[in-house]
Amino acid sequence: MLKLLKKIIIGLVAFVIGLVFIVWLVWIPSATGPGYSYVLSWGSKGSAAGQFNDPIGIATTATEVFVSDARNARIQVFDYDGRFIRQFGKKGDGPGELGRPMNLTMAKNELYVADYFNDRIQVFSLDGTPLRSIGKHGSGPGEFNAPGGVAVGVNGDLYVADFYGQRVEQLSSDGQFIRQWGNTGKVGIWAGEFNYPTDVAVADDGTVYVADGYNDRVQVFDAQGQFVRKWGGPFGMDIFGPFNGWFATVTSITLDKQGNILVADFYNNRVQKFTPQGKFLSSFGEKGTGDGQFQKAIAVAEGADGSVFVADFLNNRIQKWKPIP
Amino acid sequence: MKKKIIAGLFGLLLMQAAFAAGTHYEMRVDGLACPFCAYGIEKKLKAVDGVSDIKVDLNKGLVSVNMAEGKELSEEQMKKLFKDAGFTYRSMKKSPL
Repeated sequence: MLKLLKKIIIGLVAFVIGLVFIVWLVWIPSATGPGYSYVLSWGSKGSAAGQFNDPIGIATTATEVFVSDARNARIQVFDYDGRFIRQFGKKGDGPGELGRPMNLTMAKNELYVADYFNDRIQVFSLDGTPLRSIGKHGSGPGEFNAPGGVAVGVNGDLYVADFYGQRVEQLSSDGQFIRQWGNTGKVGIWAGEFNYPTDVAVADDGTVYVADGYNDRVQVFDAQGQFVRKWGGPFGMDIFGPFNGWFATVTSITLDKQGNILVADFYNNRVQKFTPQGKFLSSFGEKGTGDGQFQKAIAVAEGADGSVFVADFLNNRIQKWKPIP
Repeated sequence: MKKKIIAGLFGLLLMQAAFAAGTHYEMRVDGLACPFCAYGIEKKLKAVDGVSDIKVDLNKGLVSVNMAEGKELSEEQMKKLFKDAGFTYRSMKKSPL
């Protein structure tokens, strides 16, 4: 009897070890890319020029870095070394005014701002002149309920992550509704459903990448709107964790010049990089307040020279990283 | 002179009452995950008449607001508000301002 019990226990232990090994092999990939190294950071908490009160979104031009400074209701502009250049926007709901600017996108030298409290996308020239506003509050086609992020296709179409709308909307450049992904107002964990989508990116061929925030995954759709794939933890189904290729709340997504995907992994205090097929390449960052450490990495953007800029939310600063050759 | 002093004291009392008016609410909420949620709650609370000074502590799961004199927040109202915002209301403490 004792021998049998011993055999059962040994068998169970072997089974568990085998299971852990399979999980590790299948769902915890190793880095295959060279990664990034820390360069510099700038900013501290406050409302003066160069200070932040919730830096939450980031975008770049060939020479400048635009940061949405959410609680200060403004956009601040810096050079690639963090020197303050200018700022625009103020609290309010009029043209050019902001109610919590969130993720940013740059397209054809225009800045697109997800204006969370005002339920609209605002478009600015690079000098801060308000150009136009798209959308209004609601749950109908072309309306928003707390937009968290926006992307712009090569033809000018807008893709908006509608956070409380639990959907991603595709609109023409003048705001006409084209299609949506997700069920309006309904959380879901299956393919094509969302759990508070925070941001979106679109490739030149029309492939759409969605930061599916609380589902802890990325979802991909083709230019015709069909679901292609998802990744983030086992089965890409709201299973969070600290391992390579897993997420703990996805808050920002962008494409680099090679078409790879950079993702801000908020609670894991890091940025992860993937191929367009979702293969894990590398990651950088860890928890802390020192150089190269994050207190919640919330937004990411690539510069023209390949540098990567990250909004370091609770440290109220921006970090610059460069690719390791 | 006596009348002036009485009037002055009365005025001071009124001012004190004005400053002391209102109620501070502290609510415990489950499910706060990131600033997107925090802003979502702020957005919904901003729309409630009389609410000011909204603070959301993600780490502690606490939401606090001040209410103007004569205005009240009810538990039922907050349960619905937080449910609509995607979170679970747990409890409420209130104290005079």
